[in-house]
Formats: sequence, structure tokens, C-alpha cells
Amino acid sequence: MKKFWTIFAAEYSQVVKKKSFIIGIILTPAFMVLITVLPAMLMDKGISDPESYVVIDADGRGIGAQFTASVGRYKLDSDSTLNAYKLVKLYEIPSNQPHELDSVRGILDSMLLTKGLKHYVVLMPRLEETDSILMVSKSTNFKTLSRFDRRISDILAAMRLEKSNINLSIDSVLSMTRRVEMSQVSPGGKTRDFMSMYFGALVFVMIVAMSVLGFGGILMRSIIEEKNSRVMEVLVSSVSPFQLMMGKIAGLGFANLTQVGIWILIGLVLFANRSGLNIPANVGQIIFNPVLIVFFIVYLIIAYVMYSAIFAFIGSICSTDKETQNFMFPITMSIMMPIFIMTYIVQEPESVITTVLSLIPIFTPTMMVLRVNIMAPETFSLGNPIVLEAVIGVVLSVLFTIGIVWVTGRVFRMGILMTGKRATFPEIMKWIRYK
Amino acid sequence: MNGYLQLRGISKRYGEKVAVDALDLTVPKGCLYGIIGPNGAGKTTTIRMIMNIIIPDSGDILVDGKSAPADFKNRVGYLPEERGLYRKMTLREVILYLGQLKETPRKELESRLDGWLERMDLLPYKNRKVEELSKGMQQKLQFITTLIHNPDIIILDELFSGLDPLNIELIKNVLLEVKREGRTILFSTHVMEQAEKLCDYICMIDGGRKVLDGSLNDIKSRYGKNTVHLEIDGDGEFLAGLPGVKTVTNFTNYFELILTDMTQANATLKAIADRVTITHFERVEPSLYNIFIDLAGHPRGGDGGRA
Repeated sequence: MKKFWTIFAAEYSQVVKKKSFIIGIILTPAFMVLITVLPAMLMDKGISDPESYVVIDADGRGIGAQFTASVGRYKLDSDSTLNAYKLVKLYEIPSNQPHELDSVRGILDSMLLTKGLKHYVVLMPRLEETDSILMVSKSTNFKTLSRFDRRISDILAAMRLEKSNINLSIDSVLSMTRRVEMSQVSPGGKTRDFMSMYFGALVFVMIVAMSVLGFGGILMRSIIEEKNSRVMEVLVSSVSPFQLMMGKIAGLGFANLTQVGIWILIGLVLFANRSGLNIPANVGQIIFNPVLIVFFIVYLIIAYVMYSAIFAFIGSICSTDKETQNFMFPITMSIMMPIFIMTYIVQEPESVITTVLSLIPIFTPTMMVLRVNIMAPETFSLGNPIVLEAVIGVVLSVLFTIGIVWVTGRVFRMGILMTGKRATFPEIMKWIRYK
Repeated sequence: MNGYLQLRGISKRYGEKVAVDALDLTVPKGCLYGIIGPNGAGKTTTIRMIMNIIIPDSGDILVDGKSAPADFKNRVGYLPEERGLYRKMTLREVILYLGQLKETPRKELESRLDGWLERMDLLPYKNRKVEELSKGMQQKLQFITTLIHNPDIIILDELFSGLDPLNIELIKNVLLEVKREGRTILFSTHVMEQAEKLCDYICMIDGGRKVLDGSLNDIKSRYGKNTVHLEIDGDGEFLAGLPGVKTVTNFTNYFELILTDMTQANATLKAIADRVTITHFERVEPSLYNIFIDLAGHPRGGDGGRA
């Protein structure tokens, strides 16, 4: 046990003393903010200048004019007096002149490319029957697309109603069909803003994934370095290979926890001073929910040990960094998996597919951290399915990790003395069976 | 002979190839013991099995009469054939880390540190990084890490490879001193002349099998009846053709002749004197190299037998 601690201390101090560790403490959260908060801020901030647009009305019943009038009601901000959209021109083209339509579109296309025009909308003849409305934009803009879509749909709906002899004016129909902004509320009544939930979850998953990839990578490289520098043989003449492996995993893992601990501490300090820093209250609620923090720490440790054992496995069968690269891709994929399918999980955090995926041990840590963040349980009640599943996930992934550590231990003791070439699959199988 | 370290019927095969074949070996306490043999004879495999780095297929290894004692890893100092240290650590850090892995208290290591560095001419580099050292210096540093925890038994694989003559002398003196303190040293080498100058006991192995073992004095006197050393002015080409000469070995500055019959030595001497001027003619014990060839029946390892 004394030797384990000697290795532990050596590995820990070697990493913590490195400049990259200090830089990581500062740079990683900065990077997180960059990739998570920044897009949210940009999307939220919206557009500072009015977007210019053109309407071509080839329908001839005045829909174009109604449309521009209703778009004109959008303001840049809720408290702004500036309009969000600026009409450049409304073309009204008789439906029997398709050539003119084409030439106008040609001019507008070039204006999109060279002039400041952002969108143009083409209302084709008899559009309530054919649904043929085009929106041509300089760049994709979901907000504008959905606004324009809604406006025209409402106008068409009103026209259909008018035809059906219900005898209501278009304006009164429009006012009756006004839509509401719906906000999502978690049980208990707390408002959960989608953006803060989405990006809060992303931050936690990213911390797990990046710690595992970062520190697992350090472990792997240090094993390869000790193999190539031939220190390994001296080491295993003093300690058992298993002690060596576990000492290294634990030492680096503790360095990892130190880093995450510092981040949490920074977070707590910021949270304590949130009034002065203008942090929205709902962000704090999500990040400082004790259930989330506990599952996050538990899964961070499990993910780290599990993937470190896999990295140690690779380090012991490879003899150069280059050889390890083939393995890096699937590992990165499996740890980042939840991020790739995040849009699905956010919508279906309790579907069968999500549940099954999150109980496959190599996906469990990141998947569960994501799901727990989305569901945001507020107590550790096992009656809550997400809490129960997260606990089952802990049990399964711990068992799997023990298995991985055992297999790696057996491969490690043989592989670490092999240099010059990568071990073949039959060799590895032999090592595992070897007494 | 009741040894400090005993190997009984150790075997190890890698697939079809037998690396070590039913090897028995007894290392007495407080001696310098050499395992000698050409490259590929099984020396490193044997040493790695003693170190419990490779598990033998069969056989027992006893230390002080006990099989694999728990503290053996702490009582042994091991210098592997392929050497290397942490390049980014300082000399001090490397020595302390490897010493602590032998469960020697840090304080004790610190108190010995400067003495050893001084002795190996490395004191000025104490806080420099290992990668700044020359190859020979790194070898000496690694030698310190092998001894810093005061091991009872020191195991050195291909001890002299990569060392210049001055450093060989330095390390030899340390080893002799360690031996005088009653500690045991086991080393392997393919350079038989060096083993010859240093060892009390030897074990010759070839193709994984023991060819011969015992104390150097016994062996030499057993095989030493028909050997003469000869120094001449001129070419020694003709010596092998002389009647009564069994073999001729051309060492750098002398010849070692094995005669068929020592009683005919005078006749042989005369025949040589007829052709060239003899500057030295002496009846001696045979070199290990010739004993090895005599027993193994082939000069394996080429000129590896002669440094």
C-alpha cells in the first residue's frame, strides 16, 4: 500500500506541477463558456439592425400588402420602438406574366449576394390552394422563417374563414388566432428556460468527456513513455504491475478531481455573488441542484476510472503514440455520444431508446449526467424513475468498470514489457488467460 | 552448497523456442556471481524470472530458502539490460522516487544521495534533468538507483554494456566494496574476460542450458592443464599447423594455445622458436572463452567472447 501511495503522489505532483494543468484550470471553463454560453447569448441577443426584405406578390389579391403590414408589427426588442424588418419593396406582378416574375427574381437574387438584402418572399398565384410560397434568404434564419410562416398562415386561415361565410373580418380573425409564448415549468413550479437547461446539461457532459479524454490521454502517454524509456522494467522490479497501474490511475484521477473541484469552487463563489454579477436565477438553480452535483461527481469518477482502464489497456498494447491513434476515434465517439444525439435526448429524455442507451456501461456516465440534468430531479427519491435509473446505471457501470480494470490488469503486466510492436489480438487473449 | 539464491529446474519457453531449459543455479551469500554465455543464451530470461517479471513455466526460485518472499522486491537492486530513466525528472527526483518505491524512507535516501552522486562524479548535476546527461552519465545514475536503498542482493543484467573503461573500473570498485559488506551480487555478461576478472562463481549457459558452474578457481584448475600463453614477434598464422597444438585462440596481443599433451610442451616451444622470436611463454589457466568453446563445442556469439 505504501508503494501505491508513492506512485500516487509522484503521478499527482508530476501533473499538477505542469503548466498545462494550471492553464487547463483557467482555459477549460473559458472554453466551456465560449462553446455553450456564447451561442446562447448570440441567439438570445438577436439582430441589432432591422432585416431588409422584399415581397413579390404574384397572387394579386392583396395578400402581399396584408403580410407586410403584419410583419411590420415586429419590433427589434420587446422594449424597442425600432422595427425588426424593413420592407424594401413590394412587387405586385399579375399572374399572367411569369417572365416578369423570373426577371424580378433574378435581380433580387443578385441583391441578396451583393447588396444588403436579407430575404425575399414570393407569393405564387392561388397560394391558399397550392401552398406555394417561397422564402429566399441570404442565410438561414429560423426565427424569421417561423415568423413569416406564421404571418402568412394566419392570413390564409383568415381568408378561408372569410370564404366560409362565417362573416368575420380578417382583422378580427387574426386577433382571435394570436399565439401565446409557452414556457416550460418543472414539477414544483420552477421555470426552466430551455436555453439554460440545454447549455447547463452540455457543460456538465463536456466536463466529464474532456476530463476523461484529457487525463486518460496523459495516462496512456505516460505508460508508453515508460515503456519506451525502459523505466518500466525497473518499476515492475519494485512494484507489482497492478499496483503501478492503480497508483497511476488514482494519482491522475485525483489531479482531475482537483481541477474539477477548483471549477466548482469558482462556480460557488460566482453563485454566492450572483446578485452583483447579473447571473439569471434559473441558471443557478440548475447548476447548484444537489442531486445533479452528486450524480455528476459520482459519474465523473466512474467515467474516469472506466476510461482510464481502457486507455491503460491501449497504452500497454501499443508502443508509439501513432499506434494509439486508431483507438482514439472510437473512444472519443463513445464518450461524446450523448452530445451528438443531444437534440433527441433533450426531447425524449425518458424514451426506451434513451433509457437503453444510457444503461450500456460505456455510455452510462455521460448519458446519465445529461439525462439527470434535463430531468433535474430535486430529491433522491427512488420513486422518481430518473433517480432509480441513474442508481441502476451506477451499479452496472461500476461492475463493468471492475471487469475492465481486471482485464486491463492482466494485459498490462505483459504488455508493459513489450516494445517495438503492437500486440496482436491472439497475444492479448493469451495474456488475459495466462495465470 | 546452500545458496542465498537458488533456482531449481527453471524452464521457460516462448512458443516453440525454449529460452531456458531446466536450469539449476545456486548463488552463495556474499559473493560475486556471473552468468555468462553468448547472446541469446537465456541470461536475460533467467534474470527476469528471478526478478519475478517473467513467470517460469516450471521450477522454483528460492531466496534465503523461501519461495518468493514478500519483501524480496524491496531487498533487491535491479539493473535491467535495457536502461532508461524519466527524462524530464531531475537526478534527485529520480533517485528519490525509485528509492521510495523500495519503501526506503525519504530521509534516509536524502542522506545517502550526495555521497553517491559525488562518488559517480554527478554531484553538479543533482538538480538537472536526466535528459541533459550523456549516455555514460545516465548509466552511472541508473547504477546509483540500483544501490541507493542498500539492497541485500544486486542483480545486474549485461552490467558493462555501454560503459567506457574508466567507468567500468569505477563500478567494479563499488561492486567489490559491496561484496566486502557481505552483500550478494549476481550479474550477467557475454564478455567473458570481464567475468573472469571479477567473479568468484560463474555459471555458463548456452541455448538455455547450463554448460558449467562452480567457483572460478575450481573451474580453472579443472580445465587448466594444457594451456599456454604465448607472445611472439611476427605472424602467428602457422601456429595452428604445428604438431601437438590442439587449438589456437588469437587474443589481441597474445595467443592462447591448448596443447594435446603438456609433456610435449618443450617440443612445441622449440618448433615455434625455429620460426619466430618468442617474447613470452607461460603455462596458465585457460580463459573462460576457451573453456566455453571446449564445452559448448562451438564459438557461438562470434567475437563476443573476446572484448
